[in-house]
Amino acid sequence: MLSFIAKRLLSGILLLIVVCSGTFFLAFVAIGDPTPGLLGNSATAAQRDALRAKIGYDRPVLTQFWDWISHAATGDFGTSWRSFQPVGDQLALRVPVTLSVVVFATLLAAVIGVAVGIACGLRPGGLLDRGLKLASVVLFALPGFWVSLVLVTWFAIELRWFPAIGYVSPEVSVSGWLSSITLPSVSLALGAIVMVGEQLRNGFLQVNNQDFVRTLRARGLSKRRVTTHVLRNASPSALTVLALMFVGLLGGAIVVEIVFNLPGIGSLTQSSSQIGDIPVLMGLTAVTVVFVVLVNFLLDLVLGWVNPKVRER
Amino acid sequence: MTRTRTAALVAIAVAAATALAGCTGNAGGTAGGSTGGTSGGGQEITELKAGVFLDVTSWDPAVADIGFDGPYMSAVYDPLVALDNSGKPVPALATKWEWSADRLTLTADLRTGVTFEDGQKFDAAAAVANIEHLKKGVRSGQAYLNVSGATAKDEDTIEIKLTKRDDSLLYFMGLGRSWMASPAAISAGSLANGPVGSGPYTFDKANSAPQSQYVFTKKADHWDTATYPFPSVKLFPITDQTASFNAMLSGQLNMQFANAANLAKAKENGWNVASKPSSWVGVQFADRTGAQVKALGEQKVRQAISYAFDSAGILQAVGNGAGTATNQLWPVDGGVYDKSMDTKYKTDMAKAKSLLAEAGYADGFSVKMPMSPIFQAWQPAANQTFGELGIKVEWVDMAMPDYQKNAPTYPMFLAVIAMSGNDMATLSDQVTTAQWYNPNPSVDKFPEVKALVDEVEKADEGAAQTELLKKLNTKLVDLAWWSVWYQADNTYFSVKGIKVQPVTGMMFPTLRFIQRG
Repeated sequence: MLSFIAKRLLSGILLLIVVCSGTFFLAFVAIGDPTPGLLGNSATAAQRDALRAKIGYDRPVLTQFWDWISHAATGDFGTSWRSFQPVGDQLALRVPVTLSVVVFATLLAAVIGVAVGIACGLRPGGLLDRGLKLASVVLFALPGFWVSLVLVTWFAIELRWFPAIGYVSPEVSVSGWLSSITLPSVSLALGAIVMVGEQLRNGFLQVNNQDFVRTLRARGLSKRRVTTHVLRNASPSALTVLALMFVGLLGGAIVVEIVFNLPGIGSLTQSSSQIGDIPVLMGLTAVTVVFVVLVNFLLDLVLGWVNPKVRER
Repeated sequence: MTRTRTAALVAIAVAAATALAGCTGNAGGTAGGSTGGTSGGGQEITELKAGVFLDVTSWDPAVADIGFDGPYMSAVYDPLVALDNSGKPVPALATKWEWSADRLTLTADLRTGVTFEDGQKFDAAAAVANIEHLKKGVRSGQAYLNVSGATAKDEDTIEIKLTKRDDSLLYFMGLGRSWMASPAAISAGSLANGPVGSGPYTFDKANSAPQSQYVFTKKADHWDTATYPFPSVKLFPITDQTASFNAMLSGQLNMQFANAANLAKAKENGWNVASKPSSWVGVQFADRTGAQVKALGEQKVRQAISYAFDSAGILQAVGNGAGTATNQLWPVDGGVYDKSMDTKYKTDMAKAKSLLAEAGYADGFSVKMPMSPIFQAWQPAANQTFGELGIKVEWVDMAMPDYQKNAPTYPMFLAVIAMSGNDMATLSDQVTTAQWYNPNPSVDKFPEVKALVDEVEKADEGAAQTELLKKLNTKLVDLAWWSVWYQADNTYFSVKGIKVQPVTGMMFPTLRFIQRG
């Protein structure tokens, strides 16, 4: 088990270095001189030169890269080229927002998706099963921003149950925090719920028809215990989908962040790309890769726990 | 049994949702509750909740943007000079000022009895430290290009020395380039972490969520307390116009930077609507001397392009009708603008083609123009018009930062450029000084323009100068210096009980322009 964990961690660190290096050099090529974007319309050539010197952009690109990566290794992501605030401070503000929404959405997808998947697996062809099939087609066809807008119109503007925009930190108010992340999380989770449900339902039916299940039934095990065995064998594919959904939602949260005006990493990625704020972009890249690695690592651990054969591979 | 359990789960879920919904009123002002929004019940609005387009750039006045930082900065800082509704500089921390005869020295008397939030005193030494800091600022420095330095004459008098006469200095100071911060915070370099000013409000950091909402509480003893009617101010940076409008509809906001496309809905809701010209839209001729594309050096060719565009149609189709079709770029509500000249380039494709033929370009010519996503809304109209004229445009796509960097190297480009509320600032920004959007002022190459500019710059401020500016404006329109299609408005919605006075030059007005009403 220890070597399993060590291998996964090592490959994660390697991935982090490769992705960050690639992003750094690509950003330099794509953005070019960042001073027009950073200083805006009216800056003079002298002011642009001064900013280049201030942010160290006048140094060779390899020197800048070494400077960034050596500091990043100690947790120092540098200073934003636009606000001159530490990138770490901006990430500390933004990451919890996106994480709150994405984690809540993943939880909703897991809880509701699993419940729906089991229910459909137990009664294939039933009303719920047919409903799931229809929902999976409809929810995948509907654009995320449209679903978000419908939720805002109903629950924020008409009913005024939830806020239309904004994020409240749990430190300020726990209920306010839950309230502010509910609609964004639901709009993110809807697609994930049907995906997890469908995956689990199919896995459930597949396992349900296997010989060992028939043997369990023949031995007189209760329906509940048989279902538990089936679920344990059907869950890996659903867990993989859930982990993939988490990573996808992390990157795709920008739409709900815009619709609900959430100060998360999606909108920060967009704004820092537009103005060419490379230190912020790099900080965001590093954090995102860390989460991807972490989630995959956790998934491997859970799959290893569910199915010990996985650990031996 | 299963049904009972399901029903119980549903009941729990509904109860939880209801409980959450019930909590939202106090959740950092997120929804419903004590919105203080409309004054429907005749109640006075006690809290301004404004949807600003962008987040605060920096709390350091030297790094802050003029554009959308105004409301944030005006909450916590006092300016040395403020502006009135018409963009005229008026006293603030500087109670009065006087120019020397040669207009190279500005002497200002300062308000006494003002202290910064860290207990530091505002006096001449503090004002000098601020001006030096602003002069060095990467963004604020532009306003002080002609300032050589400032000195304290006595405890409440300063002298600002200029290297060259600058009639727009006080305007730019009032626009957002003279916010006074604690000198201790300036020397500590700590302003980026949080404001330390003497403004009418205290920044409530504990109840604010950076990049999401900023809460300010009014000071009881501020010297200009009457100008700021709201005991509490919350500013929400919301870039997405749909999100902002939804927040307005849901009662989370009671004032917003608005999209004119929502005008009908705003009227349906009985909101106040305020608009003011903010930017000009059209074609910038960067190469009006014909150095790159000979044809553009011909006045008749530039005039032909001006005649060809259906400005009113473009304003309606692309700008939602929010603005004024005109071929001038001094604000349409200002003293230099001349309405009678707006008919000069009344859309006339036949005349445009005839002018092109007279200039020797009956078959048009070829030109490369930059394009960025932000300008794509106007691209079809430009393509159609240039196509009809026989001008073959090769569009070069680029991102917006690259557009600002590269557009000046092209002979002409589509432009959406912020306007100034001050006539001399317009002259400097749009005509005489090189900017990315005015890369080749080329005034020297047009003797008549040069002579008029010299006259304007030497004239006394006031009616005489305005008259000369009008002459210059007429000359520039005649030369087709630009092909301005229209002046676009910035629009603001507010609930009954709140009135906004927009100011050209400020993308979002400072708090002194948001009143009860």
